[in-house]
Amino acid sequence: MGMERPPTGHDVELAALAAAGDRRAYGELVRRHGSTVRGLLRRLGADSASADDLAQDAFMAGFEQVADYRGEGTFGAWIKKIAARLYLKKVRRDARLIFSDNAEPVEEVMVRDASGDAASRIDLDEALKALSRGERLCVSLCYGADWSHAEAAEALNIPIGTVKSHVKRGLDKLRAKLARPEEGARREAHG
Amino acid sequence: MAEPDFEAQLSRMFAEPPSFPDAALFNAEMAAKLDRGWAMRRMFIGGAGVAAGLFAAFQILTTRFSSEVSQLSRESGHNIQTEIDAGIAKFNSVLTTPASAEALWLAAGLAVVALAFAVTRAVEEL
Repeated sequence: MGMERPPTGHDVELAALAAAGDRRAYGELVRRHGSTVRGLLRRLGADSASADDLAQDAFMAGFEQVADYRGEGTFGAWIKKIAARLYLKKVRRDARLIFSDNAEPVEEVMVRDASGDAASRIDLDEALKALSRGERLCVSLCYGADWSHAEAAEALNIPIGTVKSHVKRGLDKLRAKLARPEEGARREAHG
Repeated sequence: MAEPDFEAQLSRMFAEPPSFPDAALFNAEMAAKLDRGWAMRRMFIGGAGVAAGLFAAFQILTTRFSSEVSQLSRESGHNIQTEIDAGIAKFNSVLTTPASAEALWLAAGLAVVALAFAVTRAVEEL
């Protein structure tokens, strides 16, 4: 038996093939969106091993439900929603989802380059570590999984105002963290 | 930086997946998991089908079927044994006719090929 070429086509076509039982078509969707889902789960706060386990669970659940996906929105957004729901279920089960207005950052970020300049490049994944668990979760759900504030509030079972305040504080922190490289570059240009 | 600009930038950053050096391994694990899930589903469906078939056969044999057969037998005035004997005699005559025997062996051969094909597909799926 020779090597078979992977299926090609738009995500919607591959999803339709997968709904008819074509595992290779679904495998191609996994190849296309695997990193996105794994990345989202890490950004939501899962550690590497849990993120990968949850990503696999999300894709397996997606295969079971793929007949429900009919091309409304992107497949990426659809599978990210499944993954985010699985993650929330897990943190709720582990009783680790604690929302506090005074929550401390998960990890304070201090990134320095070789010359010790604090304005060195900080990427999103590093910057997210400066947020509290609640802020990180709300920001990642709303900007990473494309959920509305209302959807996030419903899934997290908290008032929508709490989601908005977490998002606002999270954005403020991210803006400060992510703005540093630009400020550094400006200083270099002027100096 | 203005809020909408920053939000748009943030959405773009979130849309960029991080690169994973073990992406190929993850994809391979997923493919294996999908195959295992599919095999389990087929075995479950097959098992459920066999169980349902056996149950149905048991029900037919123990309830209506035998009584209906004897009822039909009585109504038609024929003895079942006579019919069976006639059937066996007909089957023997078919076997002894050279052309019919060839057709029968050909059909048996085709049935074996079909069975082998089905077994091969089942093994491939597993």
